[in-house]
Amino acid sequence: MAARDVLESDLPNAVTLLKNLQEQVMAVTAQVQALTKKVQAGAFPTEKGLSFLEVKDQLLLMYLMDLSHLILDKASGGSLQGHAAVLRLIEIRTVLEKIRPLDQKLKYQIDKLVKTAVTGSLSENDPLRFKPHPANMMSKLSSEDEEEDEAEEGQSEVSGKKSVKGASKKYVPPRLVPVHYDETEAEREKKRLERAKKRALSSSVIRELKEQYSDAPEEIRDARHPHITRQSQEDQHRINYEESMMVRLSVSKREKGRRKRADIMSSQLHSLTHFSDISALTGGTPHLDEDQNPVKKRKKVSKKGRKKRGFRRRR
Amino acid sequence: MVIDVFHPKKATVTKTEIWRKLAKMFKTIPDVIFMFGLRTHFGGGKTTGFGMIYNSLDYAKKNEPKHKLARHGLYEKKKTLRKQLKERKNRMKKVGGITKAKVSAGKKKE
Repeated sequence: MAARDVLESDLPNAVTLLKNLQEQVMAVTAQVQALTKKVQAGAFPTEKGLSFLEVKDQLLLMYLMDLSHLILDKASGGSLQGHAAVLRLIEIRTVLEKIRPLDQKLKYQIDKLVKTAVTGSLSENDPLRFKPHPANMMSKLSSEDEEEDEAEEGQSEVSGKKSVKGASKKYVPPRLVPVHYDETEAEREKKRLERAKKRALSSSVIRELKEQYSDAPEEIRDARHPHITRQSQEDQHRINYEESMMVRLSVSKREKGRRKRADIMSSQLHSLTHFSDISALTGGTPHLDEDQNPVKKRKKVSKKGRKKRGFRRRR
Repeated sequence: MVIDVFHPKKATVTKTEIWRKLAKMFKTIPDVIFMFGLRTHFGGGKTTGFGMIYNSLDYAKKNEPKHKLARHGLYEKKKTLRKQLKERKNRMKKVGGITKAKVSAGKKKE
């Protein structure tokens, strides 16, 4: 009984709704027909393409429509297998993802425009607001200095003169906050030990042990020697300089001697029988090969005979 | 530009040969190509050097240093000897004013 009452009360509503529906459908078809006529008449020219934001709008709307179509079908029990709307959705999704980088690039401009639209601070017909300001690129510091100079001299200068003055000023490097040098002997020892350990870890003995015990496959690489000597680094630096500056540098006798010595060391079968020092890892005392050169300590140069003997010594 | 020449199992390639090859590669006359600094690496097989190619000979004459132009025969150096110039200068030191210009460059003063 209650159901019948509900139905009866609902019936006139339904009738009016259906009538409305009919009218609306007629209105919509009329509009669509007018639109197609306009399009066919060429009232919407697209030779120059559509605006990017408009395209994005339309794509998103189409996406929503397709999605709702799918939901409708699924809700009424249909399957999504091979549904045409799925393909359309995929297409729209790929397009949206492809235009995302463009979106990123326009982000700044769009944000600015939205801000002006919201706050209404800048007038719309003032495109100069969005122009770059080269005056902002001038260093603020130099202008401060010049203001001080002005105050001192008590003269008024033309702004052009100001910039010229700023350009001819000597470059003063910025004085950063000085840090206290606190390295004690113990810390220096620790650092030295760290470096020795690192060097020992990358020595040939340890590397071969690693290869022996690791499960990784053996790699044969055409790599350069891991221990680049100072001489080879200097040589590389020299070559780079020569090639970039297109000049040939002269090699002093001392340089020649150094290079010769380094070549001899590397070309002999030195590396076959002499291994690098791994005492940093084993904890023993560092030993030096008899054949290797010990670290030379710089002798203190006496000032007396320096001028006279300077020429000789340089040889 | 930097020129790298690979010549395995051969002696160093001569400059003139590289010169003509460069002209062919870049389709210009060889007169506007200036090369210098060719050095062969240790062990042979590779030579590295520098080269400049100008758009016209006029530009080359303006921009290149004189000794490189002299290598191509486009410039002749004055042949006054260094010692002579120094002797003249020392003679000029003894005389003052406008007579400096009159000091002869020969061994007139005895």
